Amino acid sequence: MLYEQKPVMARMFFREAVTRAVREEMTRDPHILILGQDVGAFGGSYREFDGLYKIFGPDRIRDTPVAEAATIGIAAGAAAAGYRPLVSITYMDFLMLGFDALINYAAKLRYKTAGGLSAPMVVKTTAGAQGQGVAHSQCIEAWLMSVPGLRVVAPSTPADAYGLMKTALRGDGPVVYIDHKRLFPTPGDVPVTETSIPFGQACIRRDGTDLTLVSHGYMMRVASDAAQIVAQDGISCEVIDLRSLAPLDIDTVAGSVERTGRLLTLEEGQTVCGVGTEVATRTFERTGPKPWIRIGALPAPVSSNPVLEAACIPDAPRVADAIRTLLAR
Amino acid sequence: MTHIDPVGALRAMLMIRTFEDTLARRKEHGFQLLSSGEEAVAVGLASALGAEDQLLTGGRSIGPALARGVAPERVMAELLGKSGGMNQGRAGRGHMSDPQAGFFGAHAVVGGNISIAAGVAMARQLDGDGGIVAILFGDGACGAGALHETLNMAAQWKLPILFVCNNNQLSVSTARDAALAVANLSDLGATFGMWARTIDGLDVQGVAAAARDAVRHIRDGLGPAFLECTSIRLRSHSTTARETRSRAELAELQTHCPIRRHAAALQADGIVDDVGLEQMRQDAAAEIAQAMAYAEASPYPTAQEVLRHVV
Repeated sequence: MLYEQKPVMARMFFREAVTRAVREEMTRDPHILILGQDVGAFGGSYREFDGLYKIFGPDRIRDTPVAEAATIGIAAGAAAAGYRPLVSITYMDFLMLGFDALINYAAKLRYKTAGGLSAPMVVKTTAGAQGQGVAHSQCIEAWLMSVPGLRVVAPSTPADAYGLMKTALRGDGPVVYIDHKRLFPTPGDVPVTETSIPFGQACIRRDGTDLTLVSHGYMMRVASDAAQIVAQDGISCEVIDLRSLAPLDIDTVAGSVERTGRLLTLEEGQTVCGVGTEVATRTFERTGPKPWIRIGALPAPVSSNPVLEAACIPDAPRVADAIRTLLAR
Repeated sequence: MTHIDPVGALRAMLMIRTFEDTLARRKEHGFQLLSSGEEAVAVGLASALGAEDQLLTGGRSIGPALARGVAPERVMAELLGKSGGMNQGRAGRGHMSDPQAGFFGAHAVVGGNISIAAGVAMARQLDGDGGIVAILFGDGACGAGALHETLNMAAQWKLPILFVCNNNQLSVSTARDAALAVANLSDLGATFGMWARTIDGLDVQGVAAAARDAVRHIRDGLGPAFLECTSIRLRSHSTTARETRSRAELAELQTHCPIRRHAAALQADGIVDDVGLEQMRQDAAAEIAQAMAYAEASPYPTAQEVLRHVV
């Protein structure tokens, strides 16, 4: 019998997945606001808020002056007073300007009021290198992971960009949602029906037996490429996408490392006190010590010079080399 | 024109002074940020706010919280780290809050609560409930970028917020004139087109009248206002900070005490006599003794509570 089957997935770009999640949530909850530079009629620096201003108007989508500190503070205050602001910080480097309100106030509000107040806000910020230089390229998510009261997520696919944003906008505390310049134009399948992805659940993207490769954000693409390269040599990598950095899903990572016996951590930020270092430490607290290599940016600023930028940031051949080195141990 | 109950204002100021003096004699709380000399600012401002309004402050928050009507026993317990405090003793100095009483809270990073307050004001504006927000900060915050950013956005968005600078003329040891280039701190508000005024912050009736004018301006939807109240700090920055002024200077400052001044004015007008004033002092002492007894009877939190309410 022939019948028409409705598609369960829709193909869209990463930036469109963000837009869809925000649009659905803003339609559902009139307390959600967007604050940030060029988020209004312009539609966001990466067009990730395209079309929303037309639907929701200037009261709920507010272009702000170049004032990250006050913008995040105003969002935190509005959150404490009953709203759910989403703040857009164009470059993650500029998030530093808003640390007081985010870290000293919003992340501590529930604790210091003994649960009386909370700051249900999302700070969406764009990390990563794409030729924009030393103060527009950084990945400082590891700094944020150590702040009690703060949740940190970093999607790598359109489906996760959608599902994690849905969860972030329904959460009850401050969330830093990290996207990446190079991810916005990447396509992927997103469920047609409304879904959300809970925080604290990593995802195994590729099954493997020889080593566990853990990453997040844009570096997941590098990780997949590296796994593909070494597969030609018969090396089997299990590739895990953390998706959520705080809380961190160590169960999934430790379970994998128990099976493979080796860990390679990959991030675009610095390795000193980095995401990989934290993942490895907490994994080995469960599994006991295992062979481990961590890869991240070289200990230098990320230049806009294409040669220096490429030299600083991990790429698939470098990761593939590390995989071979790790297997030789 | 006076809008404040002058006897009530005297009682409130006496209660705050007694509270802080009593607290200062205790040593187990580490240190406290007291507001002796600044009571007229807190009491005058609070008299202009309604039940639907919210007050936020910097770290020097005891006087303002009490003036706003937060129960003294809950403030005392909070500052001594006891579970009976309004935040179960975990906020403590510089961070207490009681939104039900109209005191949205303190945030002890200088300048840090100013943008937060503007966010609360934005929520009020979106709710359209007519409530306004007052943010009280010191002259020390006037050099902070967060203030300047917030003034701009509040003016741009016509937020219902009253910026009140309690200019006690000292930032720990640094004199206001050595730190801030503007002539009047209210000029900071005027620059952004706000209703702005600098007044004598030692005159409780004057503060009340000016605050009332500012609040009316804001409620009329005319945008934010900036009120600078010039006051004095009779104590050092905190109960453990070194005093940088001479005894002679401090003795001279005492002659400007806002409580003395208001009491003398009421006595001169025949509203209060010596007996009445003494009775008010005793009433304040009794109220604060009761607050201290409540705080002392209240238990400390248990160590097991350390991980509660984190996320």
